[in-house]
Amino acid sequence: MIRYCGYFLNAAVLLFAAGYAAAQEVRLFSFEGYAESEWVEPFEAETGCSVSVAYTGSVDEMFAKMAGSDGADYDLISIDTSIIQRYLDNELIIPFDMSMIPNTANLLPSFSSVAEVMSGGATYGVPIAWGSLGLIYDTEAFPEGIDSWEALWDPANKGHILALDDANNNITNAAIVLGIDNPFNLTDADFNAVQQKLIEQKQYLISYYAGFEEGVNIWDTSEASLMFSMGEFQAVELANRGYDVVYSIPKEGGIGWLDTWALSKGVQDSDCAHKWVNYYLNGITGPTMTAINGYGNTTNESPDLDYADKLVWLQPAEDFDRRVEVWNAVKAAQ
Amino acid sequence: MIAFVAKLRLPASDCLLWGILGLFILIPLASFLAYGFFYTVDNSVVYRPTLANFLEILTNDSYRTTFFKTLRMALEVSVINLFLGYATAYFIWLRPPTMRNFLVIALAVPLLMSYIIKIYAMRGVLGTNGLLNSVLLALGIVDDPVSTFLFNLTAVRITLSVVLLPFMVLPIYISLERIPNSVLQAAEDLGAHQIQTFTRVILPLSLPGGMVGAMFTFVLASGDFLAPELVGGIEGFTYGRLIFSQFGLAFNWPLGAALSILLMIVALAVIYMARRLGNPKWQR
Repeated sequence: MIRYCGYFLNAAVLLFAAGYAAAQEVRLFSFEGYAESEWVEPFEAETGCSVSVAYTGSVDEMFAKMAGSDGADYDLISIDTSIIQRYLDNELIIPFDMSMIPNTANLLPSFSSVAEVMSGGATYGVPIAWGSLGLIYDTEAFPEGIDSWEALWDPANKGHILALDDANNNITNAAIVLGIDNPFNLTDADFNAVQQKLIEQKQYLISYYAGFEEGVNIWDTSEASLMFSMGEFQAVELANRGYDVVYSIPKEGGIGWLDTWALSKGVQDSDCAHKWVNYYLNGITGPTMTAINGYGNTTNESPDLDYADKLVWLQPAEDFDRRVEVWNAVKAAQ
Repeated sequence: MIAFVAKLRLPASDCLLWGILGLFILIPLASFLAYGFFYTVDNSVVYRPTLANFLEILTNDSYRTTFFKTLRMALEVSVINLFLGYATAYFIWLRPPTMRNFLVIALAVPLLMSYIIKIYAMRGVLGTNGLLNSVLLALGIVDDPVSTFLFNLTAVRITLSVVLLPFMVLPIYISLERIPNSVLQAAEDLGAHQIQTFTRVILPLSLPGGMVGAMFTFVLASGDFLAPELVGGIEGFTYGRLIFSQFGLAFNWPLGAALSILLMIVALAVIYMARRLGNPKWQR
């Protein structure tokens, strides 16, 4: 029988330590679409490492969670090349041991030497997928098609529009729509114009959404027919639910992203983490992902994604905190 | 370390209680209060005291309007629920005892369900192809589905009212249960008719329960961030969302903590008021 406080505490400490017994596991923190059973199951069978996944709703949320736990909760994160520097500045990621990822030999030439993933001669990100933040529309509602983002500001579409809830992407996209030269280095005047533009849009929106699945769910329960999308995957999901939708990059251009696996500072099973990244580049996983989710992969050509030249590739933003502040002001505006 | 803690000779039961209280309530609360007075530079917290967060909150228009908008919304939900909850509790109280117990349990069952699932269920009810619209269409009240039930502040009010209703009904029901039969018989003996008995005896004796329920509803509604996010659409940016965005998106914990402290002060004031109104002197 436990009679005294000390014994009780000792027991608690022992139990806590026992809970830390390591298992072969890789803990992913990623966007939806990077851990489908089609490649998770063969990976687990082949390597004996089990895979656990947590999904994020936005780029902002991912950073806040990583910063909040100092990376302790996850082994690998899926981050785009523009945000790697922010993670480096906050010392949340560590370099890969490239000798454990021989499959980088399979990378297509345009992805094999990306400058943004390197720092001080070490590799912090392994490119796995690319895509865009395009415009999705319902062909029944728009039989003639849409060629401009201004459709999201058209009073005629009031009550039919969804937009994502993400500071950086919304501000960048609004800057692209406004024709601002460098959407990643906004001046004070640019910030004001972008804020006004986004506030003006609010009256036409049904809702903001966070996460692929959430956006598709709101589409399902509302009269949505237009959407500022988080990526190709949403068009695939909507098509799976029977909607006749088109995914497009309007004439003003659109945000392009290149996602990488990055190694969390708090990685527990580094071996399994490296095996997962290596498996991703085996030349089978990439095309499978492209077929299922519609993202471009980095090991094989993706002929359906023919709009790469219209994309403005994400770059580090001038002031992230300011973007979050502007975005909050937009959301709070009456 | 182990040798040191072994010398603490408190009985195990006290230790457990203080341990739980300290570990899960007091220490987190204290760290919360402390964080409100720190600040961040380049995504990392600087542990030096400052009042900058509170100044920013007081001078920033969007924080202020969001704060009052949210308190107003929470008040509206409390008032709606006071009427709905009182009617429900009164209805249950008038049933025969076995029926009564069944209804109270039925009312408490949703409290065991996940909060998020209840909100999603409400989304299913309120959506353009949801239950409410199907009923309205079937009855011929509307010709086309109505989209005004979802993705606005009304949807948040409806959802919170439904989800928080048990917190209102239960305290009112308990106050009704506590009214001695002899009191009601005395009213009857003295010639009071039913309406008089209700307004002069039952209502004053049970309204304190309503005050407690209103307190629960107000405090829970004003801090909620899930319902506004999931059913509130563009109008759903409430104070809870603002706090969430500081922790969950902006990684500005100090500002988030300062925002929370303000909400906590309001909540404590409301709890204090409810304590006075919910336990009036003349009833003790």
